[in-house]
Amino acid sequence: MHISDGVLPTSISAASFAITGIGVALSLRQTRQEDLPKIAVVTSSFFVAALIHLPLGPTSVHLLLPGIVGALLGPAAFLSIVVGLFLQSILFQYGGLTALGANGLMMGTPAYLCGLLFQSIRGNTLKTNSIAGAITGALGIFLSAVILASLLYLSGENFFGVAKIALAAHIPVIVIEAVISAFIISFIFRVKPEMLYH
Amino acid sequence: MDHTLNIINVPGWAAVGILLLIASLPLSLLLTFTRHKAAKKQDSGRPDWSVPSIDAYASQTSFFHTWDTRVKIITLFICCFIIVSLENIASCLVALTISCLSVHFCKIPWHRARNRLLAMTGFLSMFLIVIPFTSPTQSGETILLFPLLSSFPFHVNGFYVALVIILKACSVALLMEPMFGTASLSATLHALRRLGLPSSITQMIMLSHRYIFVFLQEVIRMYRGMKVRGFTPKTDIPTMRTMGNFLGMLFIRSYERTQRVHEAMLSRGYHGLIPTFIRFELSMKDIAKGVLWLIIGITLFTVDRFAPMLSP
Repeated sequence: MHISDGVLPTSISAASFAITGIGVALSLRQTRQEDLPKIAVVTSSFFVAALIHLPLGPTSVHLLLPGIVGALLGPAAFLSIVVGLFLQSILFQYGGLTALGANGLMMGTPAYLCGLLFQSIRGNTLKTNSIAGAITGALGIFLSAVILASLLYLSGENFFGVAKIALAAHIPVIVIEAVISAFIISFIFRVKPEMLYH
Repeated sequence: MDHTLNIINVPGWAAVGILLLIASLPLSLLLTFTRHKAAKKQDSGRPDWSVPSIDAYASQTSFFHTWDTRVKIITLFICCFIIVSLENIASCLVALTISCLSVHFCKIPWHRARNRLLAMTGFLSMFLIVIPFTSPTQSGETILLFPLLSSFPFHVNGFYVALVIILKACSVALLMEPMFGTASLSATLHALRRLGLPSSITQMIMLSHRYIFVFLQEVIRMYRGMKVRGFTPKTDIPTMRTMGNFLGMLFIRSYERTQRVHEAMLSRGYHGLIPTFIRFELSMKDIAKGVLWLIIGITLFTVDRFAPMLSP
């Protein structure tokens, strides 16, 4: 779920813009110049992956995969997510330009943390990698739901109801992302393991 | 201070009317959206994965096309932040009118702006439906009590908050077309670089944007292959395994493909910068346009903050 323009108070969207800016700067500092094309590739494949909808009962959900971005890019995941969100907002209006900071914080932080976690728990076997994929997949969505709800909570009492509903709406997505992420990681581990960040 | 609440018991017929009226806006938008999607799906036999090309209408001439890209971006960016800071419904309506006029005058077809509004429908209708029933009770406010929904009082104040949010979101979304659709993406990125964004970020945006369309073709090709082999998506584990492999394959193929492209770029002397031949020339007219927009924005903001104090 992306926050649209006009939802958050200006103070919060400006503050999250500043924090996201610092995050991008730090992420950029840890990235080598020759890695930029690889990050661009992962960014656009995630952009395309986010267009694909999976059926969920009568409705459908689209994938977000912040956990996988972290697993593939490590610390550069934050940068990749912010660039992806910028493109999504100018091409599709998913999210919005003034909410880019908030959305970057909401999706980029989980991706970064998931990257760190994935590296430390992945182990060397297919089984441990798949399990690590499932955990990071679930954790990525859970963290972004928590950050979304806290941003809404900070915005005032009017938004408490929306924050609760947004949290609840993420529960089925957590399950789906966990399963899909496990399958994606197991596939990449079998076919091209050097693509996972190491 | 007045601590009484104006509680209005709404009779059944009026309640149905009000609820239908509130639901009709997002519902009608969603209906057109699904019909639009279904029509697209019928044409090609697969879900709608089209990505709009941001600069398809960049070669026209209009107020926004002739405006210096740097001044245009920075001015409209400030205006977007002014719009999201508005608090009154009247000033939000003025902002929406200005945005609509801008879309009209930038000569970009309205269906692009409409698609932007449709993309936000789901998120915004959640606000419209949830906030009136869950916002906190304030002294002196009006509450509507609907029959059968007596435990969920309808706060008129909350409804007002939700409406303001929707108007602001739509105004900013409409401004995106004049802001990014009226110059080629490379000109826009060049302008962003001149405004201080690090060149590695603009290069990444450029490359990612190029690759999106390449990978989209790959996805369409792979999905067609899956369909031919009898794949129908359901809510079950086999679907998820297939989709997981599908996405994993997408990442690997796109990575390997661009690896070769990258090596070719390096051997032709790429070192993180693609030379551009875009020259910006700042004229008094560009600055005048910027000043005009800022004056409108600041006036709107001042009226929004101070007009309620002046009125009795």
